Amino acid sequence: MALSWLLLILLALAVIGYFAGRSRALASVGGDARDLHSLPSYYGYNVALTALVPAIGVLIVWLLAQPMIVNSTVSGLIPDQAIPEGSDRGLIMSEVRRVAYGLDGAVSSGAMTEAQAQDGDADIEILTKSLKDAGQVLTQDVTQPILVAAQKFRSMTSTGTIAMQVVVLALALLGAAFAYVRTHKEFRARNVVEQGVLALLLLAASIAILTTIGIVLSMLFETMNFFQLHSWKDFFFGSTWAPNFRGGSELSILPLLWGTLYISVIALLVAVPIGLFAAIYLSEYASGVTRSIAKPLLEILAGIPTIVYGLFALLTVGPALVSMFGDGGVLGVGWMASSNAVLTAGLVMGIMLIPFVSSLSDDIINAVPQSMRDGSLGLGATHSETVRNVILPAALPGIVGAILLAASRAIGETMIVVMAAGAIAKFSGNPFEAMTTITTRIVSQLTGDTDFASPETLVAFALGLTLFIITLGLNIFALYIVRKYREQYE
Amino acid sequence: MDSKAIKIAANNVQVYYADTHAIKDVNVEIEDKTVTAFIGPSGCGKSTFLRCLNRMNDTIDICRVEGDILLDGEDIYDKRVDPVQLRAKVGMVFQKPNPFPKSIYDNVAYGPRIHGLAKNKAELDDIVEKSLRRGAIWDEVKDRLDAPGTGLSGGQQQRLCIARAVATEPEVLLMDEPCSALDPIATAQVEELIDELRSRYSVVIVTHSMQQAARVSQKTAFFHLGNLVEFGETGQIFTNPEDPRTESYITGRIG
Ligand SMILES: Nc1ncnc2c1ncn2[C@@H]1O[C@H](COP(=O)(O)OP(=O)(O)OP(=O)(O)O)[C@@H](O)[C@H]1O
Ligand SMILES: [Mg+2]
Repeated sequence: MALSWLLLILLALAVIGYFAGRSRALASVGGDARDLHSLPSYYGYNVALTALVPAIGVLIVWLLAQPMIVNSTVSGLIPDQAIPEGSDRGLIMSEVRRVAYGLDGAVSSGAMTEAQAQDGDADIEILTKSLKDAGQVLTQDVTQPILVAAQKFRSMTSTGTIAMQVVVLALALLGAAFAYVRTHKEFRARNVVEQGVLALLLLAASIAILTTIGIVLSMLFETMNFFQLHSWKDFFFGSTWAPNFRGGSELSILPLLWGTLYISVIALLVAVPIGLFAAIYLSEYASGVTRSIAKPLLEILAGIPTIVYGLFALLTVGPALVSMFGDGGVLGVGWMASSNAVLTAGLVMGIMLIPFVSSLSDDIINAVPQSMRDGSLGLGATHSETVRNVILPAALPGIVGAILLAASRAIGETMIVVMAAGAIAKFSGNPFEAMTTITTRIVSQLTGDTDFASPETLVAFALGLTLFIITLGLNIFALYIVRKYREQYE
Repeated sequence: MDSKAIKIAANNVQVYYADTHAIKDVNVEIEDKTVTAFIGPSGCGKSTFLRCLNRMNDTIDICRVEGDILLDGEDIYDKRVDPVQLRAKVGMVFQKPNPFPKSIYDNVAYGPRIHGLAKNKAELDDIVEKSLRRGAIWDEVKDRLDAPGTGLSGGQQQRLCIARAVATEPEVLLMDEPCSALDPIATAQVEELIDELRSRYSVVIVTHSMQQAARVSQKTAFFHLGNLVEFGETGQIFTNPEDPRTESYITGRIG
């Protein structure tokens, strides 16, 4: 029975429970709903929710836990000598899973009987052949230990799934029956439903939070693996980024961090003045009509996918800069050799951030009360004096917050720098040179032929985690500042 | 009473907020070196009319002003008149206190700095102290001039705004209910200030307190539903009003 069927049955049970509970409640007062403690529908919801909530909670936990338990049990079954040189338990386990799914596929397509699939003494060669004939993908030859493990994997998984279905359905039935029996005119169904709703909301919130924690933990585990293979001193304090898949790499984050920050600073130098001035124009000077046209237009910029900005950098901005600063360029300086440069990426990233800065600043400037403007104008200040001396200082903390949020976006931006910044990791102050950033190196370390066991690959997780911590810190700081500012006028 | 020079003359002034006709055909003459009180029930257009006198209504998009308002014989709605210059001459204290989120000192020094009234720091210090004294708040804030103006109590904020307005030495001071948030002692001090200002400037004060209008003003204008019902000597208005509406308002029967 597939998961969707299980869910459908649960749902049907809830619907039946709803009507059953409702009519039982009405029956208990002889059809006069005014004698009930709660509205009749609450009794229905009570039965439905009592059936659903525990059953679905258990279902979710089971779905998360079963693969982990099966994996660790099966992985314990594989003897050490079955793991070939240069491989590890993780790789073998993925092979085991592949064989298990292959067997599943072969059985369901009729190429193999269930008995054949679970036959522990099956001839490996015949089995491999019939699997391949059935169109299943195997990357290496099936060995005896792998087959045994795969068969164990299949049997555990199917037993587990059946057990799960039984438990979940039993729980739902029990819940429905329990609530149905309790349904009576004195019963405070309304209050119980309130708690049921709370439980549902809590479930949703905890899924979101658990996912975040899951992401951080998975990064953390891989990062720890990396630090077992590579010295943390080199990572944090080394000076060279030179990955070498044959070993002996130097993997220091510092040159990448330098490139990241350099490009981000250029981007902010572009985005902050332009965005801020645009926001001041829109909120202080523009007429209602101009504002209603210009603001959405500016915000369209924010909706352009960053890959398009990347193309713009690659095809337009980069060549334009080369034709100015390059050899034989308009300025005749010959500073810029290729269109991949810090300046190209920084400029385009700055353009990307303009709407971000301007729409946040616009909101913040609009939040400065009109009486503040009146006060300044009433003293004989001009409009721009008012903006400079009263509005901007009043909005400053909020604007700083907006800039910090923009900075954290710049630091985490990937596509533009992949396409426009180049791939050379170095410390250099020259904006016309190619440089590279943390995000581009994560992409390049993880694309192509990879195994997740070498420090050259695992370093991507350490880079990612560091980046995550930097942007998280910036965001928290920015939100703190923005919030502090909000309180001022409330 | 001897007749003084006319500082501001309003002829046939109409004010519209989009379709609302807020001020209807108002004619009034405000004399120099005189305190003029505007009284009238809430929503009758006192603030609106006051804001016409220094063109603060320009900042409200939907607001339209018709008719002439002459300051020293010059039409302030003329194209050649710079509203910024005008507002330096015709200062304003608003109905709600609106100190800037700056230090108390910077709040008061704001106008003088913009208009370059002080040659050096010592002179500016002087102006700030003198203005705060005139705003009857010097003793309360002299030890914390660096504290933010927004951190003061409502009544203190209002007096700070008064100090801020007098610091630019305007020729006319428009005060919109300056004492509505003040205790009797501070009110008395502000009234004293108004009396002192009268020797040099013209002051227009909006108030809901009949006693205050009677105490501080020489002329009184009574507004009702956007009309100027009666305008004349304060003593005359309070003792012997011509219009029955004025009489019922003063005696507390409408409002
Ligand atoms: N910004 C505005 N937009 C639209 N209508 C306005 C605006 N300001 C005032 N009005 C309208 O103009 C009329 C006069 O308002 P005004 O603020 O001048 O009254 P007021 O006499 O000062 O009252 P109060 O004593 O309560 O301060 C009111 O009917 C009000 O609704
Ligand atoms: Mg008013």
